[in-house]
Amino acid sequence: MFSLSSFLDAFWPLTMAARYTLLVSGLGIALGLVIGAFVCVLALSKSRVWRTVAAVWVSYLRGVPMLVQLLVVFFLLPVIGIDVPAIVGAVVTTAIVASAYISEIWRGAIMALPKGQTEAAIAIGMRPRDSWTRIILPQAVALSIPQLINELILLVKASSLVSVVGVMEITRASQAQAGVTFRPLEAYLAAACLYLAINLCLAALGRWLEHRMAV
Amino acid sequence: MVEASSVEIRKVNKYYGQFHALKDIDLTIPPGKVTCLIGPSGSGKSSLLRCINFLEEYDSGEVLIDGQLIGYETPGGRRMAPRRLRQMRSTIGMVFQQFNLWPHMTAQENVAEGLIRVRGMRKPQAMERAAEALTRVGLADRMGNHPSRLSGGQQQRVAIARAVAMDPRLMLFDEPTSALDPELVGEVLNVMKALAAGGMTMVVVTHEMGFAAHVADQVAFLEAGELVGVDVPSRILREPEDPRIQSFLRTYRERNVI
Ligand SMILES: Nc1ncnc2c1ncn2[C@@H]1O[C@H](COP(=O)(O)OP(=O)(O)OP(=O)(O)O)[C@@H](O)[C@H]1O
Ligand SMILES: [Mg+2]
Repeated sequence: MFSLSSFLDAFWPLTMAARYTLLVSGLGIALGLVIGAFVCVLALSKSRVWRTVAAVWVSYLRGVPMLVQLLVVFFLLPVIGIDVPAIVGAVVTTAIVASAYISEIWRGAIMALPKGQTEAAIAIGMRPRDSWTRIILPQAVALSIPQLINELILLVKASSLVSVVGVMEITRASQAQAGVTFRPLEAYLAAACLYLAINLCLAALGRWLEHRMAV
Repeated sequence: MVEASSVEIRKVNKYYGQFHALKDIDLTIPPGKVTCLIGPSGSGKSSLLRCINFLEEYDSGEVLIDGQLIGYETPGGRRMAPRRLRQMRSTIGMVFQQFNLWPHMTAQENVAEGLIRVRGMRKPQAMERAAEALTRVGLADRMGNHPSRLSGGQQQRVAIARAVAMDPRLMLFDEPTSALDPELVGEVLNVMKALAAGGMTMVVVTHEMGFAAHVADQVAFLEAGELVGVDVPSRILREPEDPRIQSFLRTYRERNVI
């Protein structure tokens, strides 16, 4: 029998755990945006070496499952003498994986701009720096918002993976709850509701941003 | 009106990889006059026009703006310093077939942007000047619109205002009316006629033979990368000697008979 009270009871511990879900995905995307910007600069660089570095970075991170990467980082850090809480490794891994996707999103957005946009800037005598900051980036960023929100939603879901290295986020908390109450269905359903609530909010945020940035 | 520039094109060659797009082009563009470039599709009209502000690099020969070589320090020599190239470009206005307005800025901001970034003007002055330039092309009541909220003809007039606000001494037009619905062509041509009447040097790639016939001081015909002929419109458009020009004009007339 489905127990409504166990279902409702599960929300409090899971909501507490949601802070870690948000921390991992929020910090992950924030750092990922910064690293992704660097990778994107490399990918668009004139130097073949830098382009190769970016290509290797992107294809490794997109080609290997995030679960495996988390485990690699988790076991690698102690070996190279870095002793940090599991949450730190989880955030760093998430950020690095996100950076690969984000750099591709930005590269795509920049390449999608018509050539005439920069040509108009060049023809008028603008410096490359100004044409980047005034013409290309504002448009590329606006263009990439839906995909960035989509990436953030994927990260929220992917953050369930960091439960394997012991971070007490929603998924791990629901496992713990199920173990204590012997009510797995209620615990996991509550987890599902929380994930859905978070991602519906993010989708709404995305629509609002898109609407605001629309030209 | 600032002084108008002259352009001297000497033995210009341009390759795209193996493809010889411009072959030994010689053309003199006198100051304050309108030169139309005509010819079949793919003949190299845009390439030649874009060599004038070095948006396209030519491989040999010389393009001189008021006697000053553009793009290279010496003929066949090193590339010119970016700063100097930008400085030269800022006196050459360019208008594109696809307008190339910046969609994230209003019409007024589009016009002000170059004044601020290139001329170093303060924003209030630049916006004021942009407003004047837009008023002159009949868009006083559309200054706050983004390009997506303007008709094609209005967008192209904003693009012209954007170029003209920089006080250019030379204006380049690459098929400025080809992307427009027929009923919007006139408003853009009228703005161009007014510019021409003001003594601006203009180089216009166009399929508008009416404009070439009535406004141009000289018409240059290109085919397959070669400059086949240059003459006043009355001769080159009415009684061309070269059979290639004759056949081009015949096709043009056939297509435009209703
Ligand atoms: N970036 C490029 N790379 C390779 N080939 C090019 C490039 N740009 C132009 N060409 C070629 O050079 C030739 C001349 O092109 P150009 O655009 O100057 O012609 P056009 O006379 O302006 O034609 P249209 O009337 O169609 O605009 C064409 O055959 C074209 O395919
Ligand atoms: Mg062309």
